[in-house]
Amino acid sequence: MTAKDNSSADDQTLVRAAQQGDMAAFEELVARHRDKIYARAYSMMRNEEEAIDLSQEAWVKGWQRLAQFQGDSSFGTWMTRIVINLCLDQLRKQKRQRTESIEAMDAESGGVERQMPVITVNPTAGLERGELRQRIDRALGQLSYEHRTVLVLHEFEEMEYKQIPKTMECSIGTVMSRLFYARRKLAALLADLKKLDSV
Amino acid sequence: MDYNAQLKLQAFLDGELPKAEASEMASLVTRDREAAALLEELRNTDKVLAGFEGGIELPESRDFFWSKVQREIQRLEAPAPKFAPASLLARWRRLLVPASALALVLVTVVVLIQPVGQFGRTSAADIETALADAGAFTYRDYEAGTTLVWLSYPADNEGAESDEMGTFE
Repeated sequence: MTAKDNSSADDQTLVRAAQQGDMAAFEELVARHRDKIYARAYSMMRNEEEAIDLSQEAWVKGWQRLAQFQGDSSFGTWMTRIVINLCLDQLRKQKRQRTESIEAMDAESGGVERQMPVITVNPTAGLERGELRQRIDRALGQLSYEHRTVLVLHEFEEMEYKQIPKTMECSIGTVMSRLFYARRKLAALLADLKKLDSV
Repeated sequence: MDYNAQLKLQAFLDGELPKAEASEMASLVTRDREAAALLEELRNTDKVLAGFEGGIELPESRDFFWSKVQREIQRLEAPAPKFAPASLLARWRRLLVPASALALVLVTVVVLIQPVGQFGRTSAADIETALADAGAFTYRDYEAGTTLVWLSYPADNEGAESDEMGTFE
């Protein structure tokens, strides 16, 4: 296929061509989905360089495993699962290298979020898109990787509760607990950021 | 609200409850202000997160990023480096070294185990060659009391007529 053909072809056609060894078709797939794959890596890693490296690694793995792609999900979803798994491996490695924060241990025991006051006003109301993104970015950065990951998998990857334990290697009860904590903590962090801004 | 009820409320928001339990939670929210406030907070957080990833872009150009991916793919797919075929001379040399070593060993063994032959000392006779004069051979027979000196001057290949031989007793 020519470059012009590739740009007008749908993902399925490009995947089939790439499975036959057509690198130009794969390049088009990379161009189409690279932002999404990078964004997923960035949401999980909170580090631009690591996110670039892991998204690149995901594309290389994607090419190597292309024969295994059966089309059960969309190509984009298949690729995001690859990058998520790479990020989780990397985060687990990093976790082994550092001591967990006290906050994360408290959250694991499932106590803090119960006492948090409910945020009644939307702390992001009236914010511009760029400003809002910055605040969410900072707030996500303050969550432990377990809480951030469960949030990413549920909110961005739209995984059901029962799908998450397999990816995160934990129980469904832990998933529900982590998700609840992550949401409540995020709401509290966003409210704090708003307070800081208004001072 | 206890913790389990809070988790159930979250599951209600996420559409993870069976119908009957979902109806229960829906009626709880209408009755309980705390539950309604918590549900609202969780909903707001979801809304805030909804468009977050949409604005994130890979901070590298299409061509640059692809070149890195392509290079890595090609590096991983490249076959293991093959050695260039050896030249005839190199192959001959490779063969020659062990062959020479083997020949040397064989010659040594043959020399060591060879029985004393025609030039060796017999029970009653021996042959001497003067190193300074390779053209002269001396044959001594002790039993017979005979000494033969064989001179081959100027050279062996110049014919027998130039050979001189003397006998001393």
